[in-house]
Amino acid sequence: MADSGAASAPKPSSSVKLVLLGEAAVGKSSLVMRFVNNDFQENKEPTIGAAFLTQKCNLPTRTIKFEIWDTAGQERFASLAPMYYRNAQAALVVYDITKASSLQKAQHWVAELQRQASPGIVIALVGNKFDLASANPASDASTGGDDADGTATAEEEEDVDGESDARKVPTKTAKAYADEEALLFFETSAKTGLNVAEVFTAIANAIPETSLKGPRGVGGQTNLGRQEDSARVNLTGANAQGPKEGCAC
Amino acid sequence: MESLDGTDWDVLIVGTGLPQSLLATALSRSGKKILHIDRNNYYGGSEAAFSLQEAEDWSRNVAKDGSSSATFTNVSVHRPEASETDSAKLSSSRAYSLSLSPQLIYTRSRILPVLVSSKVHRQIDFLAVGAWWVYTPGNIAEEDSQVRTGNAVGQGTLRKVPNGREDIFAAQDLDMKSKRALMKFLRFIGEYEEQGEVWEGHGQTSFSAFLSGQFRVPAALHAPLLALTLSSSDADHTTTEFALPRIARHLRSIGSLGPGFGSVIPKWGGLSELCQVGCRAGAVGGAVYVLGNGLTGPATDERPSDGATTETVTTPDPLKVVLKDGESVTTRWIVGSSDDLEPLQTSQHEPVEGTPLAEPKLCSRSITIVSSSLEALFPPMAEGAPIPAGAVVFFPSGSLNSRKENDAKPTLPPVYVFVHSSDTGECPPNQRVLYASVAMTGDVAVRLLERAVQALLSSKNLQPQPIVLWSLRYEQTSQITQHKESAASARTASPDERILVFPPTSLDLAWDDSVLDQVKGVWRSIMGDDGGEFMVFEDREGVGADDEGDEL
Repeated sequence: MADSGAASAPKPSSSVKLVLLGEAAVGKSSLVMRFVNNDFQENKEPTIGAAFLTQKCNLPTRTIKFEIWDTAGQERFASLAPMYYRNAQAALVVYDITKASSLQKAQHWVAELQRQASPGIVIALVGNKFDLASANPASDASTGGDDADGTATAEEEEDVDGESDARKVPTKTAKAYADEEALLFFETSAKTGLNVAEVFTAIANAIPETSLKGPRGVGGQTNLGRQEDSARVNLTGANAQGPKEGCAC
Repeated sequence: MESLDGTDWDVLIVGTGLPQSLLATALSRSGKKILHIDRNNYYGGSEAAFSLQEAEDWSRNVAKDGSSSATFTNVSVHRPEASETDSAKLSSSRAYSLSLSPQLIYTRSRILPVLVSSKVHRQIDFLAVGAWWVYTPGNIAEEDSQVRTGNAVGQGTLRKVPNGREDIFAAQDLDMKSKRALMKFLRFIGEYEEQGEVWEGHGQTSFSAFLSGQFRVPAALHAPLLALTLSSSDADHTTTEFALPRIARHLRSIGSLGPGFGSVIPKWGGLSELCQVGCRAGAVGGAVYVLGNGLTGPATDERPSDGATTETVTTPDPLKVVLKDGESVTTRWIVGSSDDLEPLQTSQHEPVEGTPLAEPKLCSRSITIVSSSLEALFPPMAEGAPIPAGAVVFFPSGSLNSRKENDAKPTLPPVYVFVHSSDTGECPPNQRVLYASVAMTGDVAVRLLERAVQALLSSKNLQPQPIVLWSLRYEQTSQITQHKESAASARTASPDERILVFPPTSLDLAWDDSVLDQVKGVWRSIMGDDGGEFMVFEDREGVGADDEGDEL
């Protein structure tokens, strides 16, 4: 990596395992669909079966390939999560800004991640369905995610007491909690696309360089002096043409 | 999906051990409605991997209600008193992922291509097992008093097993005669199947006698060859017909996935990772996962109330079972290990015809975290080879005994220690995990394991002597005789054809492909002839196939 001085050298690319957590119907799958396909389905059916999707995120100095594990549809049993956040480098914990209980559930997930997941995991708290909060002229303008200052969009929204406003979770409350727990924080709309790309970019930027040596690695378990990649065995034959020792076949 | 109660399933998979998890992958594109449960709160069953905290909790739970699972007994954790000044300390609990079944997988095992064809291999990293070592005691302890002080063995040496012909040529401690004998044996084993006349008459004789008699391999060189068999028995009880295929497997595997190594281990805690990857594929395919919920009682028939019988053979009448949390579910098939299905009170396996593998039915194991990187055990394997993450140390039968014990007792089995580096993700950098195993139980086994670890750490190769930071000991049983034809036994073991039973986890130290046959047998029972090809899938939509290249 570091030894390539040539400008033409391809950017280093790393895989990042990301797990989506949150109460049912907060829009987890929709967020991923927006991120991966830039698509949104109104009244989407609950996800049947978990989903596994990948999407690349181009940063100035490197490419991050997200491997996204969506536990949607089985929230009640909470049994997929431990298998999904095992060795995950990032978690996206989603709540619905129009449903107060969903933030509590999100806080429960954050606590479990802090207790059980890899010590270096990057956690982003995301309040979805920003489009349902009234008096938010910003949402249309921000579609497409040009707005570089992601969190600011949400902070403009301090006057949360608009009468027809469906919002039940004030930005301030969630932001304070996120700050306290050192989480990334965004309010998003999978429907309009507001802040969706920003969430993933912020996560990509927050993954420590040291945990990106291999195609998969975990923060806090970096291995100085030894390149993880050089220990990995490729099953698909790329370096399988070694000497066939003691073998006639 | 809010409740399991009253829902109808096609397949209820009980337990998330390896065969069940592979089955989950095999059925992940079948369109069947699958409920996959585990009475434990963790994945992996007998193949689970634990953080320190989880291991300590597990130890307490097994002690508390050992009756719930007969697989593991006598689990204990040992944390030596650490002095404040020690620079070498345990890291946080989650820096560890300790495997209960640290099997190595030969590169020619059928499981590896199956992981590739089922497209789950992208979620697993495999690391190479490098050098194999044989322990030679220094001064066999003469004094019985030394045994009592726990210092039973003098400072011994670890000798590297020659990794193929070049190594043998280069070996300086071998005389020409020995080299010639070894080379002759290696040439033979390369195609031993075609040379039945050389060995078939000796199938049941001890491998040592065969080596001496047929190839004049000097006795001193038997140990490295025995090591490659991973036999749980001592030299006199390891038969030629057992040893030959296993040594051939070892030698033929070297080079098949890269130069210099013949076996691999999955990163992040051994087979546990395969279980998780298998279950994840199941979940992506739509299976519902519920941990901490097992079976409670026998299954009852749930025939359609109108008395109509199902017409096709492949969809049997549903069974009804009650889960631990009181919910009842109906399902057309129930699959699990004999241990997991115990509440169903299906009759015990009757051993069916088939060749029993010469494998142990019980063993004692220890997992030890040590404070050093043990670099000497991980020499580079060959030009262009991956950095090895595992090493194997073989303590031949008798090498850990005092002289008196050797004279007095029947021969004790050999001890194997797998050393895993921090590249496995099982421990932090500059520490190593030692997985020791011996095919016996009881106090003698405990002593053997302790001595093996001690002998390894105090061997001449490893100075200054590393210290033990933490260790776990347990006994494991595999009560039911395992059979080569277990694919068949999985189907016929239960009187109810709707209940399919996997045999218990093998205690073999190398992955046994017969697990695949068992899974395939069960898969075939459920799918009939409509299943397509076993474990051959396309990439799912949204999952880029382009990632092979950018990881190189």
